Amino acid sequence: MPMYKVKPVSPADIKIDVPSCMYKSPNVHGHGMNCGEHALQNGEVDPSLKATVDGFAKTVTTPDADLDASTPSPGPAESVFKGTADLDSLLGKDLGALRDIVINANPARPPLSLLVLHALLCQRYQVLSSVHVHSSVSAVPPPLLSCLGPRHIDSYARQRFQLGFTLIWKDVSELQMKFSTQSMCPIEGEANVARFLFRLLGAEPQDPAAATQMDCWIDKAVFQLSEGGSKDRAAVLRSLNAALGRSPWLLGQEFSLADIVCACFVLRAGQTTSAPVNVQRWLKSCQNLGHFDCVYPFLQ
Amino acid sequence: MQYRAGEEEQQAQSKKALKKQQKEAEKAAKKAEKQAKLAAEQQEADEDDFAKDRYGICPMVQSQQKLDRALVRVQDLTPEKAEQQIWVRARIHTSRAKGKQCFLVLRHQQFTVQALLAVGDRASKQMVKFAANLTKESIIDVEAVVKKVEQKIESCSQQDVELHVERIFVISQSEARLPLQLEDAVRPEGEGDEEGRATVNQDTRLDNRVIDLRTTTSQAIFRLQSGVCQLFRDTLINKGFVEIQTPKIISAASEGGANVFTVSYFKTSAYLAQSPQLYKQMCICADFDKVFCVGPVFRAEDSNTHRHLTEFVGLDIEMAFNYHYHEVIDSITDTMVQIFKGLRDRFQTEIQMVNKQYPSEPFKFLEPTLRLEYKEAVAMLKAAGVEMGDEEDLSTPNEKLLGRLVKDKYDTDFYVLDKYPLAVRPFYTMPDPNNPKYSNSYDMFMRGEEILSGAQRVHDAQLLTERAMHHGIDLEKIKAYIDSFRYGAPPHAGGGIGLERVTMLYLGLHNVRQTSMFPRDPKRLTP
Repeated sequence: MPMYKVKPVSPADIKIDVPSCMYKSPNVHGHGMNCGEHALQNGEVDPSLKATVDGFAKTVTTPDADLDASTPSPGPAESVFKGTADLDSLLGKDLGALRDIVINANPARPPLSLLVLHALLCQRYQVLSSVHVHSSVSAVPPPLLSCLGPRHIDSYARQRFQLGFTLIWKDVSELQMKFSTQSMCPIEGEANVARFLFRLLGAEPQDPAAATQMDCWIDKAVFQLSEGGSKDRAAVLRSLNAALGRSPWLLGQEFSLADIVCACFVLRAGQTTSAPVNVQRWLKSCQNLGHFDCVYPFLQ
Repeated sequence: MQYRAGEEEQQAQSKKALKKQQKEAEKAAKKAEKQAKLAAEQQEADEDDFAKDRYGICPMVQSQQKLDRALVRVQDLTPEKAEQQIWVRARIHTSRAKGKQCFLVLRHQQFTVQALLAVGDRASKQMVKFAANLTKESIIDVEAVVKKVEQKIESCSQQDVELHVERIFVISQSEARLPLQLEDAVRPEGEGDEEGRATVNQDTRLDNRVIDLRTTTSQAIFRLQSGVCQLFRDTLINKGFVEIQTPKIISAASEGGANVFTVSYFKTSAYLAQSPQLYKQMCICADFDKVFCVGPVFRAEDSNTHRHLTEFVGLDIEMAFNYHYHEVIDSITDTMVQIFKGLRDRFQTEIQMVNKQYPSEPFKFLEPTLRLEYKEAVAMLKAAGVEMGDEEDLSTPNEKLLGRLVKDKYDTDFYVLDKYPLAVRPFYTMPDPNNPKYSNSYDMFMRGEEILSGAQRVHDAQLLTERAMHHGIDLEKIKAYIDSFRYGAPPHAGGGIGLERVTMLYLGLHNVRQTSMFPRDPKRLTP
């Protein structure tokens, strides 16, 4: 007779992402996709799902969309990314222990894009999020302590989670991510960590041209928006404006990491009310998605 | 013929005797001459010594009189006191004569100041000579004028001032030959070897502990240790804990029969407590809810390692919780974090002083404390190439390796390892509700070494009896302990740390004897 019985504690409304496709094989008829001859990539987007996402994106981009997500939603927002990713192959085999991603960030420069990615990861996986303050920092404002949301009720049982997201506020000059110190070197820089986390969502653009464009936008955000002078910033805003005049999102019809990173960096740079028209509309669309709610407390 | 021989002998004897007498006479003459010379010198000295009453050896202080004199501490000698004439009581750290001057370094605890005595209208030649001949470590009272200095005196703690001595008296003289030199005792190990200067080995220090404790490093270590104890008490009192005192003479061994000291107790024998475990728990059953105790712990373990003592100070916590033992882990780790923060913020001077002789990395920690599960630790070790079973206990080298891996990934020197396998824990540990192979127990580590072992305790008399029988423990011996859970016992958990070990690991030292004032180990019973 067991001494203690523990009732199941998983919430009833948890979203379980069931893939619609059991086996994937490369499209041997060479239709459309340039990388059809490449080995099967994890996270290859099923065309039918792609259409769904496109349609979804369209409804979101119109200002008076039916989906009004401007009021904070009580439950998790709709997941934008429906691709699948194999955590085991990306992060290494699960040895029955929590796979913990550790991010060391300076409290003076909160990594907004990572907060957005964290929210997205939480929708897809069981993520155990924790925030710590390192001894190299004497005190941290309370909003930074709760930036990953409320503590999960199951947080006492670490092995029930698929992924750990540990954010440590530390006196570092450059943001740093550590995962498997034996087999991986640390990843430095908010943009690079963002790229790593985005891969876990399985929503990378498979088209190399699109992927390059995405990287290009991210680099623009990092080197010109963030580290550049006012002239650079103005130039980036202009090119953003131009690109967003042609399509709702930076890569076209699909919301991607480029939008996440650029929007966060633009928001952090401030003065969004004086930004060009398309940029403002785009920022509003990002806000409507609901994933950026976690970011607003940190903007002046 | 006999008669003649005797005469010759007599003559020889008298010759010898004469020679002897002559020699003695010479000797006496020489001695008298010397004495006369000394007397003459003394007289001369006395005649010329105008400063006679401004120095000397005081009679032993037997509370002959109650002087209303204020003595300034060396650490308070700052430029603000410039030109003031003050009295200081300190030890002679060094004294060096140079012609008509005598340089003294006076020391009080960690603070040193330079003092100068020069022949002039205030000091005579004899006075300067007297000062130069004073033995090191003697305690003296000095009246002096505080003077600002142009160039910083690098070798002293008080770098901006020096004392110009007016009067100097010895309160307690030290023997000339010291068993160890203080400057050798604070010399860093490497430096000693390089420059061919001496360092003092541990046994010599411990044999002459009174002198070794006077060094700046020792003063700093034990002040910091006092801080640890105080922060422990303050934090827990603020959390609503009650301090208790538990008996150390007990009737049965609590942790296991092997490592316990036996004492004769009137017509029978008793044991010295290996931990306050049983009594802490009884206090919880007596509704004290949250208790802690600070007291000696006796372990008769014949281990001659860098981290074991036979007697040490245990800081123990026990707490009743509502629904989950993590409530207790959170409380304990928060207490530890408060201690670390307190040391980081208020004891930097002491930390730097210790680091001068024993350099080490500053102690890093996370708030809230990192908590990993045993399975994660095994996975991390396996990924690093260690072969071990899932339910095997961690060996000391594995613990150290794990500490390094955790430091690499999370950059913390302090973390908790939760959910240990049941088989390697004491009989009173509560098993895990979902997996009988594991338990609700935890260890905490500092710099890769274990400092605390704790668990949720079994608070049910029946289960406790079963677990004790499973471990082959004589139920008769622990009857009183089991009885305390028969009349309603709250769920509770706790743990204990060793004061010396925590201080040692916080400062990054390598031997627990450095942080124990008068350490006890299998080979040492004095001082």
